[in-house]
Amino acid sequence: MTDLFHLAGTFLWLSLIAVGGGLGVLPEMQRQVVTRYGWVTTREFVDGYTLAQLTPGPNMLVAIFVGYGAHGLVGALVAGTAMFVPTSSLTGLIARRWERLRRRPWALATERALAPVGIGLMAAGVYTLARSAVHDWVTAALAAAATVVLAARWLPPVIVVLAGGVVGWLVRS
Amino acid sequence: MRRDMARVPLRSLIRVFAWTGLIALGGGRSAYFYDAVVVRRAWVTTGEFVQDLTLSQLLPGPNFANLAVALGCRLGGWRGGVWALLAVLVPGALALLGLTVLYFRGAFAPGTTRLMHGMAAAVVGLVLVTTAQLVTASLRGRAAVAVAAGTFMLVGPLGVSTPVAVCLALPVSLWFNRPPRGR
Repeated sequence: MTDLFHLAGTFLWLSLIAVGGGLGVLPEMQRQVVTRYGWVTTREFVDGYTLAQLTPGPNMLVAIFVGYGAHGLVGALVAGTAMFVPTSSLTGLIARRWERLRRRPWALATERALAPVGIGLMAAGVYTLARSAVHDWVTAALAAAATVVLAARWLPPVIVVLAGGVVGWLVRS
Repeated sequence: MRRDMARVPLRSLIRVFAWTGLIALGGGRSAYFYDAVVVRRAWVTTGEFVQDLTLSQLLPGPNFANLAVALGCRLGGWRGGVWALLAVLVPGALALLGLTVLYFRGAFAPGTTRLMHGMAAAVVGLVLVTTAQLVTASLRGRAAVAVAAGTFMLVGPLGVSTPVAVCLALPVSLWFNRPPRGR
């Protein structure tokens, strides 16, 4: 039971510090769910994020994966709810008043000030993911190849990710 | 227009948002919403969309869900907001839950573990490209680059926890972006 409280508290906390996109919260999420609570291993965490990339909807649905790893179906429900419901409610409340609020000079300043912080956090998210997912020459080559193909917009992301899996599988077997 | 008045029938809103949630895979997900509610259907103007997009990035929480809620509220009042959130979350959540159950039951045999490793490596490429696009599109000026680089160094290589790093970086960034005096 206490574990469920920790789960809800952790994902609520993670959702509150998720400014500028889910990727930015990844380093902190790994710290909490792998290092602090040990709900999933580093490998499972990276695999969970990969599955969340493959399925539709926000990547932060990875909360469901971690929640399930920690506490089965109830854990998945608790983590998913904590991740999405409080912050979405806040957005709903403020969206209806935003027309008036955004005219204040500090609203605009905050908007501009948050952008580079959010980008820095996203870059740190890439770093966290790369450190766990790139561990030999095959994965390094795959990551590099995926970067080139996606930057050139040769193929859609889902195809590239699936192809990465197939190549990874073929090379080592 | 008051946000309480529904601009769009709830049924169409759910259908369009669920579809957008289903096809929005990979990076730049908000672009799919732009296409769905501004380009394909004249439900909101570009100005309104940008406003909701900014709000969704400004407020805490996953951006894509926030954007769905903000647009949903605009199109159908609070009911629109609730249904918009459910429509973008539930299909993906069920799909991921299915895969998660399989994963933890060990259905992903050693062969599929190699598959996962390959896919995870490709995802690194994906997030790298998405982040690089954002850097080139929205990072303007030396101060912004310095703040972004500082935040990255703190949270990435130095391993400082995110809230601490934000507490350090945000005041500096606010100072650079402070409104001019006398307003």
